Amino acid sequence: MIRKLATLVFACAALTSVNATADQLDTVIQRGTLNCGVVLDFPPMGYFDENNEPAGFDVDYCNDLGEVLGVDVNILNLTWGDRIPSLISGKTDVVIGSTSDTLERAKTVGFTYPYFVFKFQVIAHEDKSIKSFADLENLKVGAALGTTYETEYLAYADKQGWGRDNYTSFKSENDAFLGLYQGKVDAIISTNTNIATKLRSKEFADFVAGPYVPNYDDVVGIIAKRDEVAWINYLNLFLVRQIRDGNMNKAYNKHFGVDAPAELIQSLRDNK
Amino acid sequence: MDYEFHWNIVFQNMPELLNGAFVTLHVSVLAMLLGVVIAILLAIAKMNNTKFFCHVATVWVEIARNTPALFQIYMAYFGLGAFGIHLSPYVAVLSALVFINAGYLTETFRGGFQSIPTTQYSASKSLGMTSFQAYRYIILPQMLRRIYHPMTNQFVWSILMSSLGILVGMSELSGTTQRLQSLSFRTLEFFIVAAVMYFVITKLVLFSSSLLARRLFKGEI
Repeated sequence: MIRKLATLVFACAALTSVNATADQLDTVIQRGTLNCGVVLDFPPMGYFDENNEPAGFDVDYCNDLGEVLGVDVNILNLTWGDRIPSLISGKTDVVIGSTSDTLERAKTVGFTYPYFVFKFQVIAHEDKSIKSFADLENLKVGAALGTTYETEYLAYADKQGWGRDNYTSFKSENDAFLGLYQGKVDAIISTNTNIATKLRSKEFADFVAGPYVPNYDDVVGIIAKRDEVAWINYLNLFLVRQIRDGNMNKAYNKHFGVDAPAELIQSLRDNK
Repeated sequence: MDYEFHWNIVFQNMPELLNGAFVTLHVSVLAMLLGVVIAILLAIAKMNNTKFFCHVATVWVEIARNTPALFQIYMAYFGLGAFGIHLSPYVAVLSALVFINAGYLTETFRGGFQSIPTTQYSASKSLGMTSFQAYRYIILPQMLRRIYHPMTNQFVWSILMSSLGILVGMSELSGTTQRLQSLSFRTLEFFIVAAVMYFVITKLVLFSSSLLARRLFKGEI
């Protein structure tokens, strides 16, 4: 009897200690649901489709990840600024939200290998005829608050001694484009992908894509809690397999209408 | 919670945060002053017998009090923008706050005016005062004393509401905090410091308004 009890106690202790070391990967599998954060006002990476359902490249990645994990996927819509708080508060397990992998940010959150590379670009009314980045000097420029292109633009403007009086930040990507459309600003900075999507709509028929931000590739990764090393390992392998198994190209083709450029695939393979 | 705080990044950016705090204080003080002036006019208009003024004041008060501040700031910025009127983020937030402050304070002031017996007005007239003098020396001082506390409440409220300026990209305390935290992702640290700053600002405002009250009303409050 006593031996049986002792065995039971040991078994319980063993179980709890197993639970105590359960990491994010275990938690997600045991829960049966992946809480995946995506920025849904950033087409074609994340947006709402005509049925008001989340769609886009990042959403496809969430679904692919859920599939390999064998769990359901719960997509959470985030703004740029919500990405980190959502991870820290445990609302999301992972954020697939085009997060630029700066070393400063990596002190706070864990980054995977890169999964996409953007270019930052200017979009303006065709009358403004912006040839180079230096032409922005006396124009009113805007960008979405808390994005890397805002940081890059401000760094550039500071270096040129332009000051910040002509700069306006917007709460979201949609607001930035609304501000441009209404003429609150002459030009905004966004990613080449988002700009290409917007230019296809009739509202932006009179607008043109301008020069790229000089000397800058925006390399983005998936983010998770910094100390969840095993989970980040898993996500890294997932990204490698996305390319190897052709899922990356499939998602790219679906949302950009063409195959992924060979140089993009190669730079992701090289983890640049 | 397994989270390590990194405070040094916040201290490195303290000048920018203080700058943001100054903008917050600046816009709310200005919004309060303008709001008080407009509210006095609206309160008088509301008690006026001329239907037109009374209606204007009523519509103002009803809209200001029964719609969210968020919506009003958005309307001032993007709403007017749709008609080609482009206010800067600062002016958009300022005008929305003035609109709200005036709306709320109108009712406070009207209550204040009505709490002064009309016989006092008649009495000052019989002493040979003009209408202006009666208001200036008899009615307003008593009214202001009665509504001083509700008025400071509105002031604090407008300081806190100015944080909605972040919606239209204003670089006040919240906007600056949001931008700085996106560089390092040290969200908690920056937000905690910003909250402390809001607390200090409102406490300072309350303290100086009680000092002012002591001077103005000589302790009779």
